[in-house]
Amino acid sequence: MNKEDIFAIVTRHTQEVIPALRGHQFQPTQSLRELGANSIDRSEIVMMTLESLALRIPLVETVKATNIGELVNVLHAKL
Amino acid sequence: MQSSDSSAVLVTGVGITSAIGHGAADFTAALLEGESNFAVMKRPGRQCSTGDEPPTTQFIGAEIPSFSPPDGLPASILRTASLSGQVALATLHEAWHDAKLADVDPVRIGLVVGGSNVQQRELTRAHESYRERPQFLRPTYGLSFMDSDISGMCSEVFGIRGFAYTLGGASASGQLAAIQAVQAVASGQVDVCIAVGALMDLSHWECQGLRSLGAMGSDEFADQPQLACRPFDRRTDGFIFGESCGAVVVERAGATTRAGVKPYARVAGWGVRMDANRNPNPSFDGEVGVIRQALQKAGFDAQSIDYVNPHGTGSRLGDATELKTIEEVGLKHAYINTTKSLIGHGLSAAGASELVATLLQMRAGKLHPCGNLDQPIDEACNWVRDRCVDHDIQRAVKISLGFSGINCAMCLERS
Repeated sequence: MNKEDIFAIVTRHTQEVIPALRGHQFQPTQSLRELGANSIDRSEIVMMTLESLALRIPLVETVKATNIGELVNVLHAKL
Repeated sequence: MQSSDSSAVLVTGVGITSAIGHGAADFTAALLEGESNFAVMKRPGRQCSTGDEPPTTQFIGAEIPSFSPPDGLPASILRTASLSGQVALATLHEAWHDAKLADVDPVRIGLVVGGSNVQQRELTRAHESYRERPQFLRPTYGLSFMDSDISGMCSEVFGIRGFAYTLGGASASGQLAAIQAVQAVASGQVDVCIAVGALMDLSHWECQGLRSLGAMGSDEFADQPQLACRPFDRRTDGFIFGESCGAVVVERAGATTRAGVKPYARVAGWGVRMDANRNPNPSFDGEVGVIRQALQKAGFDAQSIDYVNPHGTGSRLGDATELKTIEEVGLKHAYINTTKSLIGHGLSAAGASELVATLLQMRAGKLHPCGNLDQPIDEACNWVRDRCVDHDIQRAVKISLGFSGINCAMCLERS
């Protein structure tokens, strides 16, 4: 799975958690926080992504990512 | 809103979601037609699959056939709301708009959600889904497993800032919530208070437990679900579950001024009495005591009551005890029907949903028929049998009882 695939999974789950973002043009430089995701939303998005990737890592390992692109990089490195 | 008594507590809004109708208009029409919707329950998590083919344990009940939240509720909240939470939001939405609460100071509005452990089916499904991979359990489970998530969601969506909490009282929860709301406005704690009887979302575990306990029917009508729910009938063999949620808005007369709000009734008296008993068995003394307590607080003579909405679950001992109570307190002359015979036993919701049914019958000037009341255990009661009756309720008594010895009663008067 490449980074583009992971980016698509993250943005799909972001739209599930924040339906107002349906149709939004996501950029890797955007942070989930600036897109309106509160801390619970962000945990939910990351957990849904980990589940989709069947990636068993602690949630805490993803918290350093400051935007979607960095989150994708962290997840890709763990695959 | 007009009332000659500034200390009067009035019901100014209602909301209802049930297996026979969503919203006051559809629900009233279905009640008066004597409609019901009992079948083998199909909602995921309500059948127990043992792995054998084909044995599964199934239960009879009345499930809400189609539910979609009203427009305007936030999709981001609805996504993680349980069925109980979604139905509470929808039912509160109706009551909120019925009572025209949009311009009331939110600090002067309270909310009491009746019911505890109401989301069991959703929890069971989450456990079954994540049993082999618990590390992927959704973080929002940490919020939503608590019933207080329902009062929290409701307070966020409607901007309620007075107080909001849940209150548990088994099958009396809905009416206990209403009594708590009445006391909150009567004391001046808030000007307006909403009571919601939350939908009790049973999983197969609770259904099995209630069957094993001997509380839930039906062995006798396993192949005829539409005949299984028959409170006060000689052939009843236990209560039959039904999904519902009821909401009432109560306020002190004159505490706020809003055009176009027409009270449903005045809450004249109420009572709560315990049997000092952990078990599910009813208490004649407790029931007699609580009805007399409510009548006394209202200042009503029993003879002036013209309608009783009983607890009436379909429990043989419970039904017989309740009718004996009604005779003892001098209410046998009053019309009596059983809302549970049409919508099933909502458990935590029952007291609120049946309070709404009482208020809507009061407004309609009609009393709904009973389902399956073929041979009443006491023919001498003033039953509304198989068709609705024209009657303008002047004074009503609503009874709610719960496991662990909880007895509640409320007196309503046409306002």
